[in-house]
Amino acid sequence: MVDALTRSMRASHILVAILVVASLIFAVIGVANGDTFYLRLGTEALIFAGLALSVDILLGYTGLLSLGQALYFGLGAYVSALVLMVTPSFWAATGAALGVAMVVGAVGGFIANRVRGVYFALITFGMAQVAAKVVYNTRALGASDGLIGVPIIQINFGFAAISSASPAGFFLFTLAFIVILYAFAAYLLDTPFGRLLIALKANERRVPFLGYDTVTPRLLAYMIAAVIAALSGALYPMLRGFVSPELLFFSTSGNAVITVVTGGVGTLVGALYGGILLTLLKSVVGSYTEHHLVVIGVLFMGAVIFLPRGLMGIVRPAIERMLARRMKS
Amino acid sequence: MTAPVLEVRGLSVSFGGLRAIDNVSFAVARNRVTTVIGPNGAGKSTLFNLISGAVPAAGGKVLIDGTDHTGHTPNHLQAAGLARSFQITNLFFELTVAENLRLAAQILEPMRMALRPVTASRVALARVDELLERFDLTEKRAMPVSKLSHGEQRRLEVAVALAGKPKILLLDEPTQGMSHGDTADTAHLIKSLASDVTVLLIEHDIGLVMSLSDTVIVMHQGRKLAEGTPEAVRGNPDVQSAYFGHA
Ligand SMILES: Nc1ncnc2c1ncn2[C@@H]1O[C@H](COP(=O)(O)OP(=O)(O)OP(=O)(O)O)[C@@H](O)[C@H]1O
Ligand SMILES: [Mg+2]
Repeated sequence: MVDALTRSMRASHILVAILVVASLIFAVIGVANGDTFYLRLGTEALIFAGLALSVDILLGYTGLLSLGQALYFGLGAYVSALVLMVTPSFWAATGAALGVAMVVGAVGGFIANRVRGVYFALITFGMAQVAAKVVYNTRALGASDGLIGVPIIQINFGFAAISSASPAGFFLFTLAFIVILYAFAAYLLDTPFGRLLIALKANERRVPFLGYDTVTPRLLAYMIAAVIAALSGALYPMLRGFVSPELLFFSTSGNAVITVVTGGVGTLVGALYGGILLTLLKSVVGSYTEHHLVVIGVLFMGAVIFLPRGLMGIVRPAIERMLARRMKS
Repeated sequence: MTAPVLEVRGLSVSFGGLRAIDNVSFAVARNRVTTVIGPNGAGKSTLFNLISGAVPAAGGKVLIDGTDHTGHTPNHLQAAGLARSFQITNLFFELTVAENLRLAAQILEPMRMALRPVTASRVALARVDELLERFDLTEKRAMPVSKLSHGEQRRLEVAVALAGKPKILLLDEPTQGMSHGDTADTAHLIKSLASDVTVLLIEHDIGLVMSLSDTVIVMHQGRKLAEGTPEAVRGNPDVQSAYFGHA
């Protein structure tokens, strides 16, 4: 017997499958046209979609608005860049980003989870600001210039290798990577542990009376989100060959929240579609006007007013109904 | 002699200058219905808040099966077998009826099930079906709680408290705002619970209190005014002046 929450998650899977197929077609067209620009833009979109995914785990499933998720994204990017400059190994870079994100996420989560609501948002914002300032002022991290000259790497699977410089190859690799992060999050959120997070969002005060501690699950959710943000960030220097303090700025955190809200809060897949939409918009609008932030801001306001449940808030229920009918018959 | 399943000794708490609970002691017999009555503001809900760990007590002890559980958090008390419902419906309103019950029943599963898909939690899911049946909510299982009628929400409130198979169940005015028919059904249900659960009940409907309770505790201005069988309490002159008296 599949319940409504599992059915919604399955509807998200279908939408992710559609996205994957569209991405494959996009890659084929890109390769056929010898394109580099759009494939690399698509790769960047997917990387920021990974960051948005981590925001949705907190906002859409645990009821926590993080305004500082860039902290972990930037952390992952810098750790990855530093490791790659020493040893050009994908596994070492992502492994290090994962480890550091777990530790920093545990500390950050411990601090931020002492408060709720708007105070949680402000603390996450504050922690990211502090981290950004520290990076900005640290010579060893390139200060305001960031770290440049991250080498091109071969991502080695033993049986095959993908170069981070291959537009289509690295696009497809990033697609697989982000889909795995999605699958991991989607799996966790449909377990009793994940349902406990949903319960915390729905009515935190009742949860202790069901026999559950509320501190640990909230901390775990925060750490999982930190890890997903950091792993996404770890791909950034592989794509761009550099990292800069802007990755930790509020604009990065804020964009991730906008991405989730436009895509559909509490759907996971909304973060992916939203991430692609926003990156595309920024690029297209940015080629016409320098004031692309104004356009994005206006579009965001429009989305909140006219599509309060986001893009997926409209599309996904239709798929859920289809699944419900299919299960009955 | 075995220890009473639940015992409170000298419980006290103040809010500002108000002594909301003032040195209250009593023991609850196993698998019986003990009802707490008293006028509005007497401190009945506050008493439940102290026992269930929702509000920390300023003084006194809470013992479960003779073991001291004073100052324990609600989740630890739940593990010790004590569950409660709320006077003001306190559910997961945006989630379905079945999911509310499943969340509460999940505690019956071993820890390792926490990271398996929810569909694998057979014990919890069986418990959900059983409770839906028992509380006559099967047809509403897929409905969000916010869409239920008031009476259905009150029934679910009790069912959620019961889902984790507690040995002590604290019910704070479960029939509040229910129709007569629903109230009678709920009374019947509470009576049937007492075969394997110890029930501590807060109830305003005197007819129901008289028919349902094995023991009645009367609260007045934060103090325990009287305790005894329904008949004895009804005949108590102090109780009559404090509670029934103004009728
Ligand atoms: N958290 C609190 N802070 C301040 N005062 C409180 C608090 N909880 C209860 N009180 C006060 O304690 C007194 C007892 O309240 P309580 O809710 O326990 O009464 P009750 O017997 O349950 O009443 P009712 O029959 O109306 O439910 C009231 O005067 C109430 O205002
Ligand atoms: Mg009360």
